[in-house]
Amino acid sequence: MNLENSATQTTDTRRKPMGMLSVRVLALLFVVFLAAPAVLGEFWVEVATEILILGLFAMSFNLIYGYMGQISFGHAAFFGLGAYATAMLFREFTGGTEEISYLQFFVSLAAGIPLAAFGALLVGYFCIRLTGIYFAILTLAFGELLFFVVFSWYSFTGGDDGIQRLLPPPLFRDPVMYYYLCFVIVIAAMAVMWRIVHSPFGYLLRAMRDNQERTRFLGINTRIYMLINFVIAGSFAGLAGALWGPFTRSVAPTLLGWQESGIAVFMTLLGGSAFFAGPMVGSIIYTFLHAWVTGFTQYWPLTIGAIILIIVLFSPGGLLGAIDAWRRIRTRQGSSGVADNTLVKEEPDS
Amino acid sequence: MTDPILNVVGLNKHFGGIRVTRELNISISRGAKEAIIGPNGAGKSTLFNLLTGYHRPESGTIVFEGNDITNWATHQIAHAGISRAFQISNIFTRLTVLENVRTAVHVRMGKAGNIFASAQRIGTTETEKILKRCHLVEKSSHIAGELAQGDKKKLELAIALAGKPRLLLLDEPTAGMSFEETRETMTLVDKLNDDLGLSVLFTEHDMAVVFNHAQRVSLLHRGEIIVEGTPEEVRRDEMAQRVYLGEHH
Amino acid sequence: MELDLNLVLSQLLAGVSRAMVLFLLASGLSLIFGVMNILNFAHATMWLLGGYITFSLYEGMGGEGPLLLMIAIIGGTIVMAALGALTERFLIRRMYDRELPEQLLLTFALLLIVGDIIKIIWGVEDRSVYLDIEALEVGGTFINPYYFVIIAVGIAVAAGLWWFLQKTRYGRIVRAAVYNRDMVSALGIRIPLIYMGVFALGVAIAGFAAGVFLPLMPMALGVDIDLIVQCFAVVVIGGFGSILGTFVGSLLVGVVYAFSILIWPDGALAVVFLIVVAVLMWRPWGLFGTELRY
Repeated sequence: MNLENSATQTTDTRRKPMGMLSVRVLALLFVVFLAAPAVLGEFWVEVATEILILGLFAMSFNLIYGYMGQISFGHAAFFGLGAYATAMLFREFTGGTEEISYLQFFVSLAAGIPLAAFGALLVGYFCIRLTGIYFAILTLAFGELLFFVVFSWYSFTGGDDGIQRLLPPPLFRDPVMYYYLCFVIVIAAMAVMWRIVHSPFGYLLRAMRDNQERTRFLGINTRIYMLINFVIAGSFAGLAGALWGPFTRSVAPTLLGWQESGIAVFMTLLGGSAFFAGPMVGSIIYTFLHAWVTGFTQYWPLTIGAIILIIVLFSPGGLLGAIDAWRRIRTRQGSSGVADNTLVKEEPDS
Repeated sequence: MTDPILNVVGLNKHFGGIRVTRELNISISRGAKEAIIGPNGAGKSTLFNLLTGYHRPESGTIVFEGNDITNWATHQIAHAGISRAFQISNIFTRLTVLENVRTAVHVRMGKAGNIFASAQRIGTTETEKILKRCHLVEKSSHIAGELAQGDKKKLELAIALAGKPRLLLLDEPTAGMSFEETRETMTLVDKLNDDLGLSVLFTEHDMAVVFNHAQRVSLLHRGEIIVEGTPEEVRRDEMAQRVYLGEHH
Repeated sequence: MELDLNLVLSQLLAGVSRAMVLFLLASGLSLIFGVMNILNFAHATMWLLGGYITFSLYEGMGGEGPLLLMIAIIGGTIVMAALGALTERFLIRRMYDRELPEQLLLTFALLLIVGDIIKIIWGVEDRSVYLDIEALEVGGTFINPYYFVIIAVGIAVAAGLWWFLQKTRYGRIVRAAVYNRDMVSALGIRIPLIYMGVFALGVAIAGFAAGVFLPLMPMALGVDIDLIVQCFAVVVIGGFGSILGTFVGSLLVGVVYAFSILIWPDGALAVVFLIVVAVLMWRPWGLFGTELRY
């Protein structure tokens, strides 16, 4: 009797979460980020730059976590490799003079991608053989391994001193200009990522996340596709890392360490891993919170730890997940009679 | 009866000290529709796991369309043309019904590695055809994990069909289905077999389904095929009565 | 390279005693993972907390003599067991039905929180206990005899755990829970109680280990991170759920670490990771684990 009604009701409420919410959030973010420097002072423009770069890093992590369903605790290794590739080319080009041409600058930035991709190919070759907890531990181990290599190879990487004085060419020394440079590059990277996650490959990743075993029965050699995604994710992390060095004027081995990897994990969780825009939203929350909280307390780990604990316990979908759930409840209450339908549906067949 | 599509000879498999498959022989003709029956733990699911490369046998050979696929990997066997639908629905729970089937279609088309094309524009007609065939059109935008049990099993079959197999393995295809859904599903299986000549090998608990839809029946007991023949022959077999059918009727 | 026998001997002792702390931590970690499928990132941080608590108990009682230390260790162990039970009851228990990444994140958050709570209560200074023990002379080198106490304690706990798991009724239930949860609950045994007990036991062993190590190894912020990563290495090498594997893995990691420090001080952990990678490639279920659980 009520069959038809309840059918339309379920189609409305059981839509997939990756759709419209992300598009709206992205449109909003675009406008906000475009206009931000007009209202923000220099300090907050730099915070906004950090949001963009770390947001891109977190989004690259989410290709592995949210889309492929594996958790990496070593993703910063590729962020750091990208940063070091750029920094070391910088060092070569400037030769200690602090002067770099625009061409050399962009070549250095671009260099972050191939080195990170190569690193991801090497590390991924081993990591994709395992899943779940073993994948997590193996990525952690490889990340720390690369950290120690960079940390102790003084002659080549500068060891724990890192590489300093990475001054971009004159135009981009202005924080607002560097911000817009990052804005353009991050938008472009996100557009490419959007294409990837909506391609057949992107849906295959989601299928592997839900049920890796079944994809094998469809005819998928899961390792190869996991490896491809690992390299793609590593490349985007490398690009984010490349932007980081000239931004902070220096790189250090800690960029490859587990704390840095943790940042991507936290951001993704804060925003919502089920949403394309989730990690970027998470980056806004995390970075602002960090800039604000560290202003008056040294107990940042306690703060972020407590927030993560609360999110995991009560809102594992992150901020966007909570908004999405709230919207569904509202639409359900908004149209009258729907609640009755659900009741009718749950009554046993007569 | 000539030209078997699948020929299994002397298959053996142990788990620890337990022999789950012993010297198993089975041969499926092209275009056949056969059932495997047997008590719980007889080795039906293990046999399907061996046929699809999920387990490796200790000895014996599996030949599919003239190729020895005994030690092939699962994904290679799927490519060769064997699709499998699982007993406990084994679907992509967070994707929609449409995305489930479309992804399987992409894989079959060899487009799963396509990184930049739009997934919505590839394999759409074929996906819709399969959804229609499996009575899933109205459910196509539902999240698969939230479907009712019967619909999950329909989706399970739809995913298997997306592989355009030449041999379809169905593990308890109607388990958890209503009477109406069972009829619908088995009619579909009959149609696939009659119209497209798809070879089907299925396991089933419901003896009415087995005797109404299978052309031949094999009885598996303790890892061995002990009786094999037309439904009528198996039904009348004394051994079959004793080890299995007796408890059902 | 000149081989200094004394150096080798003292490094070996340091390595083996390091292996003991790894074992005491990793056995709890492995037991908890084996029974509940939860990887506790905060395990070493709880060890650290146990150390600080034992330290404060010891100081509070006057801070002198091995007898008081023993009492403090027992007290610390009991406090940690209680904290472990509470953590399981109010936090971990909510996570059993969740997906792996969420479980990892919860214990990771615990690591951050407990680490900062330690900082708030005890500050950033290192804490250690000084016992007046005469050094032992062995062939010209002086060795702290407390090393032997540590090694004896480690072996005793290993034996005790083995006895508990193999010979007692509760141990058999715990072992059964590793392999078949449904069967255990079908036997009418209350699974939540077993889980709480196992978690409390794991944390208690960690707290006990921290107390025992106080005279040798100062409690310091950040040590927990080094240790937890090495514990992961140990359980991966030995295989989750195997006490014997954990013991052998601990010895391997502890000794390799102690000797790597001589050769490549910054990269001692890197060498440990190389072993982990090698084991995971060759036998992902560990040297003594069963393939079943992989």
